[in-house]
Amino acid sequence: MTFATRNLLASLSVLALLGLPAAAQTVGPSGEAATPSAGITVDDAQAAELQGKGLKAALLWHDQADFVNAVTAGATDEFTRLGIEVVATTSAGFDSAKQLADVETTLALDPDIILSLPLDPVASAVAFKKASEAGVKLVFLSNLPADYKHPADYGAIVTDDLFQMGKQAADVLATAMGGKGKVGWIYHDAAYYVTNQRDNAFKTTIETSYPDMQIVAEAGISDPARAEEIANAMLLQNPDLGGIYVTWAGPAEGVLAALRANGNTTTKIVTLDLSEPIALDMVKGGNVAGIVADEAYELGRAMAAVGARAVLGIENPPFIVAPALSVTKDNVAEGWQTSLRKDAPASVLDALK
Amino acid sequence: MTLTLPSRAALQGLIVYAGFILIFLFFSVMLWDRGFLSAQNLTNIVLQTAPATVLAVGLVFVLAAGEIDLSFGAAVALAAIVAAMVMRAHPWPAGVLAGLATGMAVGLVNGAIVAYARLPSFLVTLATMGVVAGLARELSNLQSIPVTAEPFIAIFGGGKAFGIPSLVLWTVAALVIGHLVFRETRYGAHVLATGDNPRAALVSGIKVARLRLSVLVLSGFCAGLAGLLYSGRLQAARYTLGESDLMTVIAAVIVGGTALTGGRGTIPGALVGSLMMGMLSNGLILMGLSVSWQMIIKGLIVLAAVAVSLREPNR
Repeated sequence: MTFATRNLLASLSVLALLGLPAAAQTVGPSGEAATPSAGITVDDAQAAELQGKGLKAALLWHDQADFVNAVTAGATDEFTRLGIEVVATTSAGFDSAKQLADVETTLALDPDIILSLPLDPVASAVAFKKASEAGVKLVFLSNLPADYKHPADYGAIVTDDLFQMGKQAADVLATAMGGKGKVGWIYHDAAYYVTNQRDNAFKTTIETSYPDMQIVAEAGISDPARAEEIANAMLLQNPDLGGIYVTWAGPAEGVLAALRANGNTTTKIVTLDLSEPIALDMVKGGNVAGIVADEAYELGRAMAAVGARAVLGIENPPFIVAPALSVTKDNVAEGWQTSLRKDAPASVLDALK
Repeated sequence: MTLTLPSRAALQGLIVYAGFILIFLFFSVMLWDRGFLSAQNLTNIVLQTAPATVLAVGLVFVLAAGEIDLSFGAAVALAAIVAAMVMRAHPWPAGVLAGLATGMAVGLVNGAIVAYARLPSFLVTLATMGVVAGLARELSNLQSIPVTAEPFIAIFGGGKAFGIPSLVLWTVAALVIGHLVFRETRYGAHVLATGDNPRAALVSGIKVARLRLSVLVLSGFCAGLAGLLYSGRLQAARYTLGESDLMTVIAAVIVGGTALTGGRGTIPGALVGSLMMGMLSNGLILMGLSVSWQMIIKGLIVLAAVAVSLREPNR
């Protein structure tokens, strides 16, 4: 098979996956069944085997965010327990050229394990090839470079239980709306596996599980800064929306701003990923009904464990998921701890009192 | 006192080189056991900065002529996407021509508005930056477009000629041609004269409007070439390419000793500035610093370098 054909097939398989309506559960890029992250561990005997080997790991992230910090903390704690030194941490700022540069730069440090979120199936395939050729154990967060084969090219993909996140968002909104009413759906308008899966799972769940709820307005968003104007347009055309789903917390802040500017106190918002302004509104009884979060710290721990197991020659399942977590006013303090392993922001805790 | 002026200016020109050597020595000592000095790592720095260096060559002309181009980052993405799309259906040389033509077309639009509608280049290119970035997103539908033509990838990406990576050859070509044109031709002298004092340049017979147009077309050409280099290296074109280069390249050119206010410019300085920016990113990662600290320290060093190299001699 020529390079062109292989590349095309890989791209097509990713596209086919993205085009699918969300399956009833989270599946890997090649349809792999999901393995819960709780089962991916390194026991004390294996940890002792790793100690003193002078192993090195690098964390090559796509961006900087609370989420990334929590994944980093989970990974770093697990690596520390196993005697593996984290020698570099980078952020590509969503730039695939920078990610390629980060891989090349980090290889000078001769790492044994690289944890990363590949930004782009096509360009990342080139970037990480150099690392896999150098014998580095690769563990991917959420995305997979085109044409990579398990277990030859990478240890595992670790990701959120994306379907559960979207489904739980639908459940939270349905509870807040009493199971009936009109819904607006603001989805991520880009070919991006993580958000596409979550967005579609929300839509599928509303359509199949809540017959008295209808998605009457749909709007794609690619620039979070434009969320407010998109929400304004949606509310103008549909003033009786009972709830709005927003693809993640950044744009949800813009949607919240639009509702406030319109004096709207009835339309409920559900979104994904923890954010202080969103949580604060929720705790104060505002528009936000709930937030569905992932267990970011657990993602990092599981990624580190996969890398360590790969070094030891232990087989890893190809596709591993960390659980989703619905956060409402009632469990916001615990939710923050479970997801990010840190206290909820003081403003949120104060508002709870 | 007139004697001290050139010596001080010359001294300022040398500061960028001294700064470069200082930072290099610092990393060499701090990272002696962490791979900084390995041939592979030093090659990486040069390869990673190649597109930025090509962009810097174009920007030296623009700044020296007293103009600015904020749209070149977006033009990189658009040129790469157009080239990749053309290569899907046509032989790769057509893609190369299309990519370069796209960059030049962006420059031509910028230049025509600046030169003949007499609008400030800052505002014109700020506006076209949005237009061009939007076009890149629209054309690509936010998808990456794979580049699979092997000869193209070899010539503009990972290939070598005479044992030298092709990216290095393109960069050297851009630098040498840029330097010769800038220093040794009448055109280069006219660029400097226009940037220094456009009214005087006009009076002395320089076609100032045409010159302004030409520097922006040149910058667009460099953006087109940088787009080809990126898409060759990544074997894909994406709307985010070049986005982060805008500030890096402007900083590199100014650190190198080109005046933001026109009338002064240096291509070798831009090269050193570009390498310095690349070396900083590379060294700070190898030091194992957190991403936030990498950003803080890089920003402070750039600020210091700009403060030193941008200070105008007393007139």
